[in-house]
Amino acid sequence: MPTDDLGLDKTFAALGVIEAAQVAARFEQVFAHFDAQLKTVHEESTWKQFRDAWLGRKSGVLTQVTDNWLKPATPELKRVVGQKLNELRAYVELHIEARRASIESGTEQAALARERVDLSLPGVIHPIGSRHLIRQVFQEAEDIFFSIGFSIVEGPEIETPYYNFEALNIPEFHPVRDDMDTFYIDLPKGAPTPLLLRTHTSPMQIRTMEKQEPPVRVIVPGKVYRRDNPDATHSFMFHQVEGLAVDTDITFCDFTGTIEYFVKQFFGPGVKTRFRPSYFPFTEPSVEFDVSCIFCGGSGAAASGGVCSKCKGAGWIELFGAGMVDPAVYGFVNYDAKKVSGFAFGMGIDRLAMLKYGIDDLQVFFQNDVRFLKQFP
Amino acid sequence: MKVVYNWLKDFVGVTAPPQELASRLALSGTNIAGVENGAHGAVLDAEVGSNRPDCLGHYGIAREVGAIYKLPLKHVSPKPPESAAKASDAIKVEIQAPELCGRFTARVVRDVKIEPSPKWLKDRLEASGVASISNVVDISNYVMLELGHAIHAFDYDKVRDHKIVVRQSKPKEQIRTLDGVERQLDPGICMICDGDGSRAIGIGGIMGGAETEISFSTKNVLIECAWFEPVPIRRAARFLKLHTEASTRFGRGADLEMAELASRRCAELILELAGGELLAGVADVYPGKRAPKKIQLTRKELLRVMGADVPDKQIEASLTALGFASVRIDHNRGAEGSLLATWECTQPSWRGEVEREIDLIEEVARIYGLDKFPPRLPAARQGAARLPHHEAETRLRERLVGLGYREIVTTPHVAEERDALFRPAGVSPARLANPLSEEAGVLKSTGIVTMAAALEWNLNHGQRNARLFEIGRHYRLEGNQSIETSVLTIGGTGEAREKGLYDSGREFSFADLKGDLDAVGELAGGLCWSADSSRDGAHAAPTWLHAARRAQVSLDLAPTGGQDSFFDRQGGAAFLGEAGELARRVADRLKLRQAIFLAELGLDPLYAAIEALKNSRRYQPLPRFPAVERDFSLLLADGITFAQISESIRSLGIPEIGAIEAVDLFRGKNVPAGKYSLLIRVTFQSREATLMDAQVNHFAGKIISILEHRHGAQLRAS
Repeated sequence: MPTDDLGLDKTFAALGVIEAAQVAARFEQVFAHFDAQLKTVHEESTWKQFRDAWLGRKSGVLTQVTDNWLKPATPELKRVVGQKLNELRAYVELHIEARRASIESGTEQAALARERVDLSLPGVIHPIGSRHLIRQVFQEAEDIFFSIGFSIVEGPEIETPYYNFEALNIPEFHPVRDDMDTFYIDLPKGAPTPLLLRTHTSPMQIRTMEKQEPPVRVIVPGKVYRRDNPDATHSFMFHQVEGLAVDTDITFCDFTGTIEYFVKQFFGPGVKTRFRPSYFPFTEPSVEFDVSCIFCGGSGAAASGGVCSKCKGAGWIELFGAGMVDPAVYGFVNYDAKKVSGFAFGMGIDRLAMLKYGIDDLQVFFQNDVRFLKQFP
Repeated sequence: MKVVYNWLKDFVGVTAPPQELASRLALSGTNIAGVENGAHGAVLDAEVGSNRPDCLGHYGIAREVGAIYKLPLKHVSPKPPESAAKASDAIKVEIQAPELCGRFTARVVRDVKIEPSPKWLKDRLEASGVASISNVVDISNYVMLELGHAIHAFDYDKVRDHKIVVRQSKPKEQIRTLDGVERQLDPGICMICDGDGSRAIGIGGIMGGAETEISFSTKNVLIECAWFEPVPIRRAARFLKLHTEASTRFGRGADLEMAELASRRCAELILELAGGELLAGVADVYPGKRAPKKIQLTRKELLRVMGADVPDKQIEASLTALGFASVRIDHNRGAEGSLLATWECTQPSWRGEVEREIDLIEEVARIYGLDKFPPRLPAARQGAARLPHHEAETRLRERLVGLGYREIVTTPHVAEERDALFRPAGVSPARLANPLSEEAGVLKSTGIVTMAAALEWNLNHGQRNARLFEIGRHYRLEGNQSIETSVLTIGGTGEAREKGLYDSGREFSFADLKGDLDAVGELAGGLCWSADSSRDGAHAAPTWLHAARRAQVSLDLAPTGGQDSFFDRQGGAAFLGEAGELARRVADRLKLRQAIFLAELGLDPLYAAIEALKNSRRYQPLPRFPAVERDFSLLLADGITFAQISESIRSLGIPEIGAIEAVDLFRGKNVPAGKYSLLIRVTFQSREATLMDAQVNHFAGKIISILEHRHGAQLRAS
């Protein structure tokens, strides 16, 4: 960066500068020269040369001005030269620093543009598994009942007719047995007791009461079996959560309160409930428990017009059967029916899951297609 | 049961529109599946519970409607004109089997004219879904639908000796029923016979015989209106696979008293529509007559069960409307709402199932409205408990999910041939006596069966990468006992790591399965892996696994000390199960073309170990001095295992030796055949001081020497 024509290597005396106006003119040339050079500095390497040319201690422009113009100046010019030199120094330093900052940030911008990650690309994918939806719903039901003091117990899926039927007040040839088509196990000839696949989780009511005295608060999650041909709403295996509460002061109000608490936790507080009188041999009074249709909000009308297909316009969906434990059942477990009372229910977990998650085919639960399993992480 | 709205109005002055009536009926115990508006007005589809045979007729439903709306029931009391001749002279009835038939009434109508029914009758039957045949047959159906009691009409002249004998069926007895089917009977079925009792002319309470049925040439009609014991009827209907309107009604328990009334109503309608003359009175044999039961209801018990009160007036009105004729009998009579209130009720003949106080409470509550009992949460009396292995199972499940496995739920019913592929020798499966199909004839004796099926489903549906697990049970028989065992089943196939932006792809291998199971086993203190452990042959290596890539997995009990009595303990290890690659032979049979990896572990010992270890884990202080690693590149003969190398190094008894790891393994290239190269990394660490180079070199020398000496290992320049 040539600065020869500025006369920096000569004293003012040699340049013939004798008055202030000439001094100012000389300095103007230096300023102009600086500005002109500054315009060409855009990279770090040229900036360094530029900085050294102006601020270098040995031969920088400012040093030359100090050595050649200021120091030898006549006393009458010295003041004005010093003043101009200060202006020049402040100007040069300011702009060189500013240029440095702007060059640095420019370099960063370029680097950022080059290195910027594409946020739309996926990260490294670790395969994560999932719990089966049935298991998730079981867990939710267990947690809700656990939170209101129900213990969780399990029992055998292969049962005796005594626990599955007789002790539940369902003697042989009872009409209710016709509704529970039962799988029997092929046993060697001479087996003392037939074995069957339990048609409900209710046998655990009996097994629990045989083992413990009241108070009883249990739920029983598990698989149950009925000899139905499989279709979208039937499977010969499905899942239930049985509930049983027996104590000296359990009433129908406690029963409905418990059931309502559960469904409001499960489906949300907006769901409406109703209890319809029904009949089961092991409960009395017996009820069918309905909730307002989850799909149409209980209006019975489909959003697209017409009748809601899920509740067939009724606005209600039947969830499960339940009731107060029939006193006859206490006779099978040596409880005093005059002193204790209680309630029992048996709800289909598959049905709850289908309603809550809008699943219209029961079979998808048991096909275990990875594309289904992935939907419920 | 189809309930014709206008028919109900014959008995109760209901004005509520059909939809509202349906809803009220449903909320008081008669569920209505739907309401149809047809040519004959509204028809309600009532789902009558098996405990309510009284509601299998319009009259019974009308009684319910009356109780709900507090409307009076119009009683049925037909008074048909009778001739001077007596029925008892015209027909003789003998019940030889009072254990099957509690009552048999017979009426005779002479000189009837069998014709098509009038329109009103046809319409009502049609609305009820019953086909019209002829006036007399239609009337018997009509009265059944009206009063809920099944009636049978015989051609009087075809009944031999004009005598009816009711007896049990005989061995190998046969009868051709009205529907034209020749039926083979089981002993103990109630038969209606004629003459000397040798010829059966009907199966009591189920279906009449073909030989004595009403035809258009019938002149004289014998009206049978009887009562049969419910249990034998259900048994017979099930045996004959013949479920009729009559068997449904008698099978659930019909009304003994209704038998005579329904007969009279039938006679009245025959006279009206088919003419003729009714013989006076009725031949009525009634061995089953019983005195009405008295049942007491107390407010105390009502409150104890229901938890909220019902006003006296409401109680009395409901019970009376339903026919229970309630009367206050306590000393506080007249004091409304008394806690001591007791009502004595009389069981009506049509409500045989109402025998106890609780039954009356249900009657009162359902008519009052179940929504009037305010819901509340019961007080908890004790702490609640999770399942015994809840925590262990939760930790196991979360670990498997973290390892990338998806949980499946399967139906245990499988095909015998599938189960046999995986069933250990000597295991008896639980076969079903009445399977729906051969494909579902046996309960899986190992979880592998359904795991393989789940992988198969996915491969057949374009999902070639799957890692699945199931926490379930397998089912076996031991003698007459069923054994359900909790097992963890694992299946993996396809890519262990999918090829992507950052990584190359890699197929699932035995090492994946082993690593994943070891990660699970870590919760239980670690697993022991052995190839074909022949320990007493108790757990012979499964042949469905690839002979080169299979293992038996046990718990390493050393760290915890175990719970000896619980575990199947042998040599410090408890058997858990098997793991490996599915044998090609089996995979080919299942048409599975890619490598499949499977494992099944028993959960009870695993859970027990997880729980035991959880409480016995203790903190190990972190080392204060740095560790030094040394690598040894070894050339080994095939067949020498990493475990042998590792054991030899440990046998030196150098306490500073920490971890011994296998870092690299390869064959071929510069490695001669029959040998392989194994890179071992040994970590040295002292708890007392920083190790000096000289010490480590000394240890390394000992290691090299023992490996050379014991295993003929050659040290390669690494």
